[in-house]
Amino acid sequence: MAGPAHPNAMAPAKPGRTRTAPPQMPATWWSHPRIRTYLLFGSTGAVYLLLGLFALRVVWALGSGPEAWNAAIAELESPLYIAFHGLGLASVIFVGVRFFGFFPKAQPSRIGPAKPPPPPVILAMLYLAWIGVTILFVAILAGGLF
Amino acid sequence: MREFLLRVEPVIWLLFGQGLLIGTMLLTGWILIVGIAVPLHLDLVAPEALAFERAHALASNPVGRLVLGALIVLPLWKGAHHLRHLSIDFRGAERDLWLAPILYGIATVASLAGILAVVRL
Repeated sequence: MAGPAHPNAMAPAKPGRTRTAPPQMPATWWSHPRIRTYLLFGSTGAVYLLLGLFALRVVWALGSGPEAWNAAIAELESPLYIAFHGLGLASVIFVGVRFFGFFPKAQPSRIGPAKPPPPPVILAMLYLAWIGVTILFVAILAGGLF
Repeated sequence: MREFLLRVEPVIWLLFGQGLLIGTMLLTGWILIVGIAVPLHLDLVAPEALAFERAHALASNPVGRLVLGALIVLPLWKGAHHLRHLSIDFRGAERDLWLAPILYGIATVASLAGILAVVRL
């Protein structure tokens, strides 16, 4: 991915008297730790897209009757599916931790007269909601509730 | 196409953001049970927990349909939008004109199928 960046990428609005060299994108731009984490965050998009499609497959089977449902559940026992769901779980946790981490920083300072709670409170609320929803979901799906 | 993509950007951003927030919250428990614990026959799950009758009863009530609909639709948009921007980061501004419609097209068709899937339960 190395190559010249846009020649005016960093140019000031009004050119100065000192001539400057055109900016050059380093060959290893993608390997910088912060960019790497950012790219990893973006690449979880592929996992989420597939997770959505797999969920569609399972729910569609549920609407198609007991035979289709049992076949879909049996299909999930394939090592490939289990490995993918392992990757999916890692991706979801990574996305949650990263996204919830910068969520409080992205809040407006106020909406009309209302001010958002302090960032640590927002973060705690997000984690509580995440853990709560997960426990509830697990309890229902595992047969502990309802 | 570029103008159309800019016009629909707020709607896509809304779905993308909810995919990050609600999608992540819903997917965690779903993957733990449906993707991992059930296929591995872990003791965590009651033997008849995902038997057809129980699963159908849980999924076909209004709350179940809403939750499953969100579980299908929102991650699709998070995925499509993130992949689009990953492609742009890798010098894909030109390819964005055809890649974005393909990714959003997949998300749109699969979302409609997802809505149909929960309606027909």
